[in-house]
Amino acid sequence: MGTPLRDLLFEQGVEFPCGGQGRCRGCRIRVLKGKAEVNQAQQERLSGEEIAEGWRLACQCAVEGDLEIELRQWDAAILVDETPFAFRPRQGLGVAVDLGTTTLVAQLLDLATGRVLAVSTALNAQARYGADVMSRLHFAVLGGGQAQLEALIRQQIGALIEQLLFSAARQGAEIADIVVVGNTVMHHFFCGIAAEPLAHYPFEPTEGGLQTFRSSALGWKLVGDPRVRFLPCLGGFVGSDVLAGILAAKLPEHDDLVGLVDLGTNGEIVIGNKEGLVCASTAAGPAFEGAKISMGMRAATGAISQVTLSPPLNPLLNEEGSKANPLLTEEGTKGWCSHGRLHCRVIGGGTPRGLCGSGLVDAVAAGLELGVITTSGRFANGEASWMLASPVTLTQNDIRELQLAKAAIAAGIKLLMQRKGATELARLYLAGAFGNYIDRMSAQRIGLIDFPPETVEAAGNTALLGAKLALFSLDSEGGSYAEVRRRIEHVALNADPSFQDVFVEELAFP
Amino acid sequence: MSIFEELQQAIIDGKAPVAKQLTERGLKEGIKPHEFFPKAIIPAMDEVGRRMRDCEFFIPEVLIAARAARGSTDILRPLLMGEEAIKPVGTVVIGTVKGDLHDIGKNIVAMMLESAGFRIVDLGVDVPPEKIVEAVKQHEANFVALSALLTTTMVNMKGIIEALVAAGLRDKVKVLVGGAPLTDGWAHSIGADGYGKDAPGAVELARKLAPASA
Repeated sequence: MGTPLRDLLFEQGVEFPCGGQGRCRGCRIRVLKGKAEVNQAQQERLSGEEIAEGWRLACQCAVEGDLEIELRQWDAAILVDETPFAFRPRQGLGVAVDLGTTTLVAQLLDLATGRVLAVSTALNAQARYGADVMSRLHFAVLGGGQAQLEALIRQQIGALIEQLLFSAARQGAEIADIVVVGNTVMHHFFCGIAAEPLAHYPFEPTEGGLQTFRSSALGWKLVGDPRVRFLPCLGGFVGSDVLAGILAAKLPEHDDLVGLVDLGTNGEIVIGNKEGLVCASTAAGPAFEGAKISMGMRAATGAISQVTLSPPLNPLLNEEGSKANPLLTEEGTKGWCSHGRLHCRVIGGGTPRGLCGSGLVDAVAAGLELGVITTSGRFANGEASWMLASPVTLTQNDIRELQLAKAAIAAGIKLLMQRKGATELARLYLAGAFGNYIDRMSAQRIGLIDFPPETVEAAGNTALLGAKLALFSLDSEGGSYAEVRRRIEHVALNADPSFQDVFVEELAFP
Repeated sequence: MSIFEELQQAIIDGKAPVAKQLTERGLKEGIKPHEFFPKAIIPAMDEVGRRMRDCEFFIPEVLIAARAARGSTDILRPLLMGEEAIKPVGTVVIGTVKGDLHDIGKNIVAMMLESAGFRIVDLGVDVPPEKIVEAVKQHEANFVALSALLTTTMVNMKGIIEALVAAGLRDKVKVLVGGAPLTDGWAHSIGADGYGKDAPGAVELARKLAPASA
């Protein structure tokens, strides 16, 4: 039978968005030398032309001899956090871990000074069993793989912590406290709690509370056997990463209504102020991460990460320094591909290879502005695609995928705003990597984040910052986050009868 | 342009009030209620299906067009009750499987099947197998159409097919399945009679599998 190519490639950091089920096209490879069979799944997902050109789905192939392949994938950009924060000093070392579905980030802190001594990052080792939480749940629940996922992630985080101590030259030092945050599915997988109820409506956690372990119970050999705490979840798909984000962005301290949005495969939204908060999650799908986009890719070398027009969408914005149009600066046109009014920035310069999430949002905003794309999302000239920078095109279907993602987020924000009786927000924080790179002007233009750009702020990795804050406030059972948690109401959008109507309304562009 | 052509255009453009007006005007001019279906409504929705396939129409346009078609059929249906009653092409029990609340895709399929002359029994979302079995019996359905949008819930389709077998109804109905995570191969493996890649695909399939007598 040969060796599954999936196993070989996963070791090299290649991701399998659907968990290697042959359902998506995320692990496409082109065979340059050697032989890889085409099975039925590949025939369904690849065109005859692609197959003839040597394209295969890596997850469906086994290799018996040497194989030379070209990969359509990328390196992942992982966002760490270096935001200064206020804290009450305590003795010893602490570790904060942001356990993301895709990426892991861990930091070692000196709790007396608040200084970050070391950072380590990795791709979540569970990703070979599915890129998003649903496909991973599929593997855990229907494939009987939950114990395997639990072992994988515990092992990986244990190794990350050892790596932290090593890079800070503190091997053998005692750690006082470890705090882990993550979404509800990651919480259940890490803590060994049955994840089955998260796989279907009503998506309620089995046990979403604070989980405390001794590190030895997790199989970690650390001096002093420190306590490890996984912060509590807020609901079915809203985990302690969002709770940590709420603390980091200080939402409960605001008088005016403010919001926090994490733009991911699962978009999480929080709106509120010191009176109380509402939160929800909404399934945006993987478009923001470049998956399901015909030439989609991560924000890595060769990706078009930015698309602008000359004259720019809003010249005022550049003067305010929100995001200067690099074409107008000294850096000039380096790394930019231009034709007509359209200018595309390619990461690393060179030939464009694909389109990442921020580039996709920009491209559609530019298309709307130029009248190339109509408000219904259709190309005005009826063509099937639009050339951005050769050979990268935006297809009609790409726009449709973005419309689905955008509508899910926009509808979620709208419904939570309605719950709070709000028509505007004093401030909207964008959490996570994508929120960090997305152009606020473009996000508003396509109706994704329909707020004035000056009120929207990229807040970075708020989950990690919140986990660090928790290291200092966890003395008593709970600390500040437990109190905050009581003031957050989780709204199940999928059960809200008006959600689908608002979703359909939001599919169109403004 | 004939009134049928005008009505077709109104449906495709999603103009519900115009579709209603044209239907009423046509009736006044002496057109028989059943004539509207083959001459205007069915071809209009087929055209909507084609545009959807070609990515020209997206969910909102399809929903608006279906609403316009319904504006017309709502006027016509009560008039079809008498001797002019046309036999439905088939009766379809449709629903989104247990554990899953997605209903937009299911609704589009239901509306397109309805415009194509099928009688629709829509059980909504989060539908357990028992409810499907009961509805098939009660409405003497020829089709069961199932939707699922999650990889974790699509497996429940298998349970529904098993329940139909257990109730002795499996050979009375054709089971059609659809939804983003499904594939033709998978549909085949659970013993479904057909897989609809999209709404027009579902209509095509239902027409192909419809009882010959209709």
